Amino acid sequence: MSVRFKIALTIFLTGLLTAAGVIATVLFAFERFEHEATYYRASAFLERVVARHSDMLAMQERFQDEFSGFLGNLVLFEPDTQLYLLDAQGTVVASSGEVQLPKGFKVALGPVMDAASAEPMPYVLGDDPERMDASAVIAARPLRRAVILNDPAVAGYLYLVCHKAILPQGRLAALQSTFSQPALILILVVCGLTTLLAAWVTAAVTRPLARLTTAVATVSRHGLEDFSTAPGAAQPETLDLPESSARDEFGQLNNGIRAMLNTLRTQWRTLRRLDHFRREGVSNLSHDLRSPLTATTACLETLEGRWVGDASRAADRQLVEVALRNTHNAARLVQSLGDLAQLDEPEFKLRSEVMDVSELLDDVVLRFTERAARQGVHIEAAAPKAPAPLAAVDVELFERAIANLVDNALKFCPAGASITLDAVPTSGKVLVTVSDTGPGIPAADLPHLFDRFYQSRQSAAPATGEGGKGLGLAIVKRIVELHDGEVQVSSVPGTGTRVTLTLPGAAA
Amino acid sequence: MMDMKRILVAEDQTDIRDLLVLNLRNAGYEVTDVANGLAALASETARSNDLLVLDLMMPGMDGLDLCKTLRARGCSTPILMLTAKSTELDRVLGLELGADDYLTKPFSLAELLARVKALLRRSELLQASQINAQTQASSLRNGDLEILPVKRLVQVQGKSMDFTALEFDLLLHFAQHPGHVFSRAQLLNAVWGYTHDGYEHTVTTHINRLRAKLETDPLKPELILTVRGAGYKMREAPR
Repeated sequence: MSVRFKIALTIFLTGLLTAAGVIATVLFAFERFEHEATYYRASAFLERVVARHSDMLAMQERFQDEFSGFLGNLVLFEPDTQLYLLDAQGTVVASSGEVQLPKGFKVALGPVMDAASAEPMPYVLGDDPERMDASAVIAARPLRRAVILNDPAVAGYLYLVCHKAILPQGRLAALQSTFSQPALILILVVCGLTTLLAAWVTAAVTRPLARLTTAVATVSRHGLEDFSTAPGAAQPETLDLPESSARDEFGQLNNGIRAMLNTLRTQWRTLRRLDHFRREGVSNLSHDLRSPLTATTACLETLEGRWVGDASRAADRQLVEVALRNTHNAARLVQSLGDLAQLDEPEFKLRSEVMDVSELLDDVVLRFTERAARQGVHIEAAAPKAPAPLAAVDVELFERAIANLVDNALKFCPAGASITLDAVPTSGKVLVTVSDTGPGIPAADLPHLFDRFYQSRQSAAPATGEGGKGLGLAIVKRIVELHDGEVQVSSVPGTGTRVTLTLPGAAA
Repeated sequence: MMDMKRILVAEDQTDIRDLLVLNLRNAGYEVTDVANGLAALASETARSNDLLVLDLMMPGMDGLDLCKTLRARGCSTPILMLTAKSTELDRVLGLELGADDYLTKPFSLAELLARVKALLRRSELLQASQINAQTQASSLRNGDLEILPVKRLVQVQGKSMDFTALEFDLLLHFAQHPGHVFSRAQLLNAVWGYTHDGYEHTVTTHINRLRAKLETDPLKPELILTVRGAGYKMREAPR
């Protein structure tokens, strides 16, 4: 929900509530006015009756049978009005109505006393003996027995009830009249106009915000690249926020973000340039080192070949062998560095083909069987699975990743250990595992295992002379990343290590 | 030494060239050496060699152009390419533009000599098979697939398809022994001619390429089948 819509909605609802409040107030005031008018009329009527028939209690006692008729006559011209004679406790003694009340019927005395007191009240609501479910406007006057004697004791009440029969129509009329009021229409119109105005104003306010949002969204979608130079972009998506001339907070925010983007872009470009130089440097270095290394290796091999079988040169041959082994290590490192730099290139593309990964594992096992056998290590690929673990992989690179893992496992595994390769398809993914029963890896080393040039202090590679220190696993990680996969490693020191590569599976 | 094999080495770096020449001569080959591609072209045109060892990066004409030019002229001498770049691109180009094998620097002399030997043996076998061709069946058939070994031509449903030298040899090897299961090691020995030790040239990769070209659904191969735990075989020709 946009801010604009929220604000418009708020204003509209406020307007509606105001209008509803006005209507409620009018209705309430009308009802009160009606009550007051009724009460006033009823009080005045009772005043007149009591003034005329002061000794009503005595009359009732004397003419019990005719008294009801007498009361009825009194209200003959007062429609919707009933008169009752109450004793001091509120018990109905006589009534003007035709409804037969049960003997000893009582009304609440509180309102009666309120209405009968000398203090003027706006109006009083009390019991209607005929309809006890609703209260009605009442009036009451105290009756005394001996008015001649100055005896103030109240012996009963004359009690008047105004029925509400008239009220519903009255309220409806009031409502109608309220609605026909020009004031109310005015309120509604003003409310609508205010809403429109608010929508327009918020639109003006949120427009710069919307522009900022678009710009920020573009940055988070595409990063800080400069699209105006991107090839193939028909409508170059520009990150340049136009400078805002507005002096308000939005203008400042706009210009602030603009400046921030520019700073970030400059830094990003510098970073990219440096990174490019680094990669290129490493790549060139690796490339340039190859020729001298080739020449050195060839020289040493030639020398060694010459001295084969010459007993007097045995010591020299040993030296040459050391030199050769180290040159090989240097060569491997140089090659790994160059490969890693190449894999890091943003332009690097996989040449993926969908294949059964387990076939590839078989291939790797075949390649390492001989070396493993020399070390007394058992290596095998797990039994084939159904369905086949299919994934889109760059065969050469992925095989290399697996080979590096096996190579690494072989480096650390003692004789008698075993290495198992497996590929399992699970819910759209393929899990490739290389597990060994070697010495395991200390927990402290696990998080850094795939970092470049990380070499555990505790478990430095035995001096087998295998090169590519610290880069083999970094290459594995990079290759798996290029395949949109993940590398996980779990290890129990003394029991073994399991490396799991998770690849997105391919549909058959 | 009547049967001395002639090898041409084209490499611009003197040290490496000298070492190559020295070791190839020691191994019993007759070696000519040149320092750039144009000289190599001239030398190869002047007299035919049995094998060319070319550096990829040379002044004048580089190894790739030389390779292309020679192949365009119908020269079928096996070519071993030496490269300092390990980028895949040159690997593929090297093979697809007509090189028969390649080695990335730094390589070991033993590896180089092994490959030289393998390439020479392969080309000998090829020549032998061409000589025998008259006596042998002129084509091999397996369902829709037809292989003409002499012309090094593969047809599927009468349509010609392109294969690299290694792919062709692998396919031919399978086709000559339909139904026979080959382990990967056997294939490496028979087709590549040496037990291979690097990351490249895997059997799987090539089997995959063959399947991609020949099978209707490469994931459910019908022609070149995987025999789990044993290797690969070509189906026997349907009767």
